[in-house]
Amino acid sequence: MFGIEMVVIDLLLNFFSREEINTFLRDPQVTATIIGSLIAISGALLGTFLLLRGMSLTSDAISHTVLLGIVVAFIVMTSLLNLEPDLSSPWLIIGAAAAGVATVVLTELIFRSGLVKQDAALGLAFPLLFAVAIILISRFVDDVHLDEDAVMVGEIGVAWADTNSHCLSNCETVTITPDDERAITARRCVNCTAENIYPRDEGAVFEEYCGNCGTYSPAQAWSAGLLETEPILVFWPRSITVTAIMMLLTVGFVVLFYKELKLASFDDALAKALGLRPGVLHYALMVLVSLVAVGAFDAVGSILVVAFFIIPPAAAYLLTDRLSVMLVISAVIGSLGAFFGYDLARGHFLGIIEMDSVLALINRVFGLQLLEQWDSSISASMVLMIFIFFIIAWVLSPKYGLISVAARRANQRRIFDDQVVLGHIFNHQHDESEIMELQADDLYQHFLWSQQKMARVLRRLRTSHLIEIANNIVRLTQRGEESVQHFRQNNLSEHIV
Amino acid sequence: MSKQLDSTDKKPPALLVDDLTVAYNSKPAIWDIDLNVPEGVLMAIVGPNGAGKSTFIKAVLNLIPRAAGTALFYGQAYEQARSLVGYVPQRGSVDWDFPTSVLDVVTMGLYGKLGWFRRPGRQERELALHALDQVSMADFANRQISQLSGGQQQRTFLARALVQDAQIYFMDEPFAAVDAVTERAIVNILRELRERGKTVLVVHHDLQTVKDYFDWVTLLNVEVIASGPTEATFTSENLRKTYGGRVAFLDGGAPVNMAGD
Amino acid sequence: MSVDDRRVWLLIAAIAVLGAVFIPISQIWLDIEYDYTLRTVVLGSSILGIISGVLGCFAVLRRESLMGDALSHAALPGVGIAFLLAGRELGALLIGAGISSWLGVMFIRSLLSTTRIKQDTAMGITLAAWFAAGIALLAYIQAVPDASQAGLDTFIFGQAAAIVESDVRLIAAVSTVVFIVIIVFWKEFKLVTFDPEFAGANGFRVTFFNTLLSTLIVIAIVLGLQLAGVILMVGLLIAPGIAARQWTQKLDQMVILSAMFGAFAGGIGAALSAIDADVPTGPMIIVVAFLIVTISILFAPGRGLAWTFLQQSQDRRRFAALTTLRDLYKYATSHGGATHPVPASFMAGIGGASVDVGLAQLQRQGYIERDGAAWVLTATGAEAAARDVHNQRLWDLYRAYGDELGLPTVNEDRQRAIGDVLTVPAVTKLETLLKGQTS
Repeated sequence: MFGIEMVVIDLLLNFFSREEINTFLRDPQVTATIIGSLIAISGALLGTFLLLRGMSLTSDAISHTVLLGIVVAFIVMTSLLNLEPDLSSPWLIIGAAAAGVATVVLTELIFRSGLVKQDAALGLAFPLLFAVAIILISRFVDDVHLDEDAVMVGEIGVAWADTNSHCLSNCETVTITPDDERAITARRCVNCTAENIYPRDEGAVFEEYCGNCGTYSPAQAWSAGLLETEPILVFWPRSITVTAIMMLLTVGFVVLFYKELKLASFDDALAKALGLRPGVLHYALMVLVSLVAVGAFDAVGSILVVAFFIIPPAAAYLLTDRLSVMLVISAVIGSLGAFFGYDLARGHFLGIIEMDSVLALINRVFGLQLLEQWDSSISASMVLMIFIFFIIAWVLSPKYGLISVAARRANQRRIFDDQVVLGHIFNHQHDESEIMELQADDLYQHFLWSQQKMARVLRRLRTSHLIEIANNIVRLTQRGEESVQHFRQNNLSEHIV
Repeated sequence: MSKQLDSTDKKPPALLVDDLTVAYNSKPAIWDIDLNVPEGVLMAIVGPNGAGKSTFIKAVLNLIPRAAGTALFYGQAYEQARSLVGYVPQRGSVDWDFPTSVLDVVTMGLYGKLGWFRRPGRQERELALHALDQVSMADFANRQISQLSGGQQQRTFLARALVQDAQIYFMDEPFAAVDAVTERAIVNILRELRERGKTVLVVHHDLQTVKDYFDWVTLLNVEVIASGPTEATFTSENLRKTYGGRVAFLDGGAPVNMAGD
Repeated sequence: MSVDDRRVWLLIAAIAVLGAVFIPISQIWLDIEYDYTLRTVVLGSSILGIISGVLGCFAVLRRESLMGDALSHAALPGVGIAFLLAGRELGALLIGAGISSWLGVMFIRSLLSTTRIKQDTAMGITLAAWFAAGIALLAYIQAVPDASQAGLDTFIFGQAAAIVESDVRLIAAVSTVVFIVIIVFWKEFKLVTFDPEFAGANGFRVTFFNTLLSTLIVIAIVLGLQLAGVILMVGLLIAPGIAARQWTQKLDQMVILSAMFGAFAGGIGAALSAIDADVPTGPMIIVVAFLIVTISILFAPGRGLAWTFLQQSQDRRRFAALTTLRDLYKYATSHGGATHPVPASFMAGIGGASVDVGLAQLQRQGYIERDGAAWVLTATGAEAAARDVHNQRLWDLYRAYGDELGLPTVNEDRQRAIGDVLTVPAVTKLETLLKGQTS
């Protein structure tokens, strides 16, 4: 991973200065937005296929249960293998992927017993795995990165501070041994590296056992004052690399298997018939969902990841009918949500409304004494922004939005009411029943409509010259007859091919 | 045409439907239906898939909103005539893994007559057992419903309707995918109901058996194509109007023998 | 009372005994001390388990399990807002949670009715958005200095230890009202859950009863949150019902059993989490509840997997024995008589694992004996084989002439003795027919 970061940094250095890169990445909002967007893109791409396959809630289940994989791998690493716990370790990632697949398999198993319905099977499987994970965490894990709070909301706000330092020049590593003149004699200055104690462990353990002995990376050596010339460093937030790799994997998967995914999402049986092995694809998708969930875990927390999977694709689904467009839109919505979500957490809503003044207003109106200073969870705020974009799409979508649908329905309703009346007249005119059925005054009774509604419809029909009323009997005009024939041909006879 | 019947007949018809229209998303599912079903007939409602047969029944029974129109049962609106009406929904409309027994399902037919708080007692139990006996299901009374075959499920539903002791019955595809024994049992029940002066409306799919089973028929394809006594109504011309060209390959053995008409 | 009924009541008694036995055992082995506080907690948790179990049955039967998940997540912002408005007052928090859940339901319904978004996605959107709103609010509340916000996160993972006596009173009062409503509308709820269409045609106000039932489910969820928390609540809601469903075929028994399971999981989960203050109650309860589900799915009589497996292997042996017996009998009679030895090589030639299984089974039954390189039917074996042939002939006749003879229609399980399936007069008719044919 270190190497990958170096390659990217070299590339960036062609365009920006080192200082620019460092300042840019040290801005918490920039780093949070980059990470949020990377997760949003992966989530949106995978979520789109999950939505089309009717499996949105599976991503919810998996985003909970990857925690079990992480915890088990964490415990195995620290207690059995005696490794340094590291949340971006491949062990944790493998564990998480396994837990994701285990969720799907467990759900299948419960469902296959034939004794439990599908929805109930999912509702049983994931609480169990999640519950076990929580018990393990609270009993056996004592680590700041892995407590119940981190599980839910992550630490995207401080992601900028958790960096790998890359040295460009003046790179000097310093090793201080007990016989070094710079060694500060501690109680027991030992070869710390051999005993798995690192300067990075910081704090009491290192100082007590090692004093300042050990190997210092250039960045550490500089900040410990062991170097005279400042090394030229680039600080690279580690979460960016993790989430970027997940994003690249997802994009690669979707590009490579685009047509298979598309086909399998619309018609599983056809895909099977064409020899596409939808089962394999299904599990590959589940593994990727787990990977993205675990990659995002550190930043947004396992439980809020689900929003990045479900909401942007749903919003895009309301805006377009084309799969490729849907993928792009949902990625964009996710990224925008990440950017504006950071603002919201700090109290700025889309640059329009200040949350502090909203709180002040609430205090004034309801006579409360709430703290008039909004400072909240960044990842939760990102989700809320994504949700607000969803609401905007829901209301304003030109094709499926509330407004346009309401307008279209009202129009259809008018046409429909007209045709009900026209059709009725058509059926009864020139028939002996016409005196009974076509009295303009009591026509409304036949339909169980209000008198006003019938009057409105009749007025409309008369002004468009579709009917005429003579001696209180309603008749179709020539145009009216044509309109009925046309409507019948288009709407009633569709079953008669 | 229907109005003529009215004037000669003093008694209100079993079912009088006037200008009934139902729309899903402003698209007509059934359209301006006028129907007059005299008392004591066994009527088949036939038509192609998606012709609105089930929709018609549900709309008449107030189960779905109507866009327009009225339905009168023996001259009364549904709210007043509720106890006169029996209903057999489609078999697939319920979860047959529900934890309940055959007898219990049949007893549900009496829930409407029991008021609040009242539990079904011995009397209801006996009525239900009697109804089960009528459909040859008495031996299955305590069987869990998930253990029933499709035909047995259908007969259970039929018993539940019988126990209601209604005047007019609506049955939604009772013959769909049932075994021969059940088909015969249902036909016997239908005939018995007719003999007792009941009126029965059946959504039916099998054109071959219409003439044997029913004395009245309504051909429906969104609109009513024709309705009346089977002999006069179930003609190849009407069938063609209902089904379009497709009826041609439906009648390997000719659904109706047209020679006489 | 039928055998099945007796079994269910026995089970209910067994759970009660198990629950009672758990207390001394846990005192000795787990060092749990049942002081006043813990007694209150266990009592409150059991009541919460009961109400979740009862309403969970309806959630499961209505296929709304995951709706339970969405609803419990959706309760969180209500808790936050109620706290801001009224402070840490359980009644207020619950009302807030209830309203918030209800808004979630409304949002899901309006999404479903106005867009092409499907139910699972609609629930996912609501779940995620409401939960995020809740987390954002809790984060804001926790930033407030000196606020007595302690205990608010118990709504996330549940913490039964926070339950005090006044809470138990509130829980008991609400539960009583809920139970009364269920008892009063029992047959309506049953009918509307099983067959809403028929209920509608019978003049029941389906929408009203559906809404009422959903409201009760929301109440159960909101109360249960203290125990299981928003994330795991769905497990507490549905697990007891799913487990109970395996043991009984009757709705009333299912509900009672589910209440017992819920009380058991709630009470024991709460007691177990008292061992270690670090462990929230929710996960403990879910693990206990899932154990109950596992046991039920595996061992419930007649329906459980172990039962089915046993039945299947028995059937396999029985069928293998029957076909092998027929082969032996056929060979023997065509070579001189029923007890004529059948070469083992001939039987091996038929092949298939089932032959060996069949031979072993027949030997165990004493139907055949090994005689050097051959198998010989014993007297009882020959008799059984002859009886089987006769039985098959009667079944053949039944199939051909059953209708003409006016015999009732039965499931034609030809491996069973026809006398077990048909009445004596019916079999006599067939016997007479057979005699007439052979003579």
